[in-house]
Amino acid sequence: MFFWRQESGVLGWRRTVLVRLAGLLLLQLLAPARGHSQSPDPEKPVPILSGTAGFLPSVTAGQTVLDTQFNPVLLVPLGQNWLIESRGEFEGVFQRQPDGSFGGPVHKHLDYLQADYIANPYVTVTAGRFLTPFGIFNERLYPEWIRALQPDPLILPIGTASSDGAMLRGGFPVSSRANLNYATYVSVASIGVSGVESERHVGTRVGVFFPGPRLEVGASWQKILEDVRKNLVGFHLAWQSRALPVSIHSEAVRSNQGSGYWAEGAYRLSQVHFWEKAMRRTELVARAQQFFNGNISSDVAQSLGLPGANAREADFGANYFFRDGFKAVFSYGRQFSSAGDFNQWTFGIVYRFLVPLGREGTP
Amino acid sequence: MNRVPILCLAFVLTLTTVAGSSNKKEAATATALVAQSAANAETMRTQGEERFRANCGRCHAAPQKFPPRAMATVLRHMRVRATLTDEDMRLVLFYLTQ
Repeated sequence: MFFWRQESGVLGWRRTVLVRLAGLLLLQLLAPARGHSQSPDPEKPVPILSGTAGFLPSVTAGQTVLDTQFNPVLLVPLGQNWLIESRGEFEGVFQRQPDGSFGGPVHKHLDYLQADYIANPYVTVTAGRFLTPFGIFNERLYPEWIRALQPDPLILPIGTASSDGAMLRGGFPVSSRANLNYATYVSVASIGVSGVESERHVGTRVGVFFPGPRLEVGASWQKILEDVRKNLVGFHLAWQSRALPVSIHSEAVRSNQGSGYWAEGAYRLSQVHFWEKAMRRTELVARAQQFFNGNISSDVAQSLGLPGANAREADFGANYFFRDGFKAVFSYGRQFSSAGDFNQWTFGIVYRFLVPLGREGTP
Repeated sequence: MNRVPILCLAFVLTLTTVAGSSNKKEAATATALVAQSAANAETMRTQGEERFRANCGRCHAAPQKFPPRAMATVLRHMRVRATLTDEDMRLVLFYLTQ
């Protein structure tokens, strides 16, 4: 009896070991499948928090300003066709106070909070608060990590900022050599609340992109539907050389608030054959611009962010990319104006961040 | 009496040979598929790079590699912002994540 129990004990022990081994084997076999079934679809988008942080001190006409910016962008994809997107702007403008310390206001602004519905390959419907698609700088080049020169173009306040309403936009090929893109919008709200200012207007932007020479030309039109009903017209150009690491951007605008243009060229020194590692990370930039007064007073122009008098300006700069999304910036500009000439120096650092807010998949 | 083991050995050898040739065919097919898949992937990557330079490169350089699902969100954002087509979006996503 004792022998049998001992035997049965040995058998039980063997069975236990065999069962455990079989279990382990089964787990090993199932693990890849289970892992695969639990791994997220690599193309299924997840919400992300992105944006730019920058510290950009400047000296304008002898006045030092410590400009600190934090511009978070929240992107929430819903289903296959929806995207909720928003960008806030927090800007601390600190100047030297009478007691010698630096202090000043922190401006808060909601740039956009919009819902996009991708209706089909050619049409996207947008509703909410969105960046006004007038020209290209406001929509495409504004973020600090993208722009080549940190100071805004003189004509930027004309026709841009934000709209509250609805927009249709999209693009399609018109031939094998050209693609057309469009955006047509209406801003129905006239909000004067600080941080979310907007006005009533309608407008359209049309651009034609030629992939061969990588050239885009386009035009914008906007009609303001406030007490003063005026038309704004703008033109834009973007070109990227195939032969050289050079890109050119330019805009021109004509309105009752003023008229003007800017043209900017950026050259990445990746083809220079000395100090190659450093040169590949360096970009040189130059911008020429001019502004002509409109039919508004100097005070009103300045309240809109425009120069108070006719002005010409030349800017030069250099950017050094430590890595993608993290760069040191420097620029020098001189403005020639009937109100007085002055220099503007800007230097600082800009960092673009991105944080997935969900299961992100493997890189 | 001694034929049984010989027959068994012959049977096993035949099976091994057939299985070996079958494995070789499968391996050749798999190699061809992998090569075709690699060629397709390279074509998609090249096209994706071209679409990136044409559409996204007008404003900014190629970003670092982010996780695919995060990049898919960024590309949906850019599809709206830069009016990318559906095909552009898929090819650029492939280029930026593979």
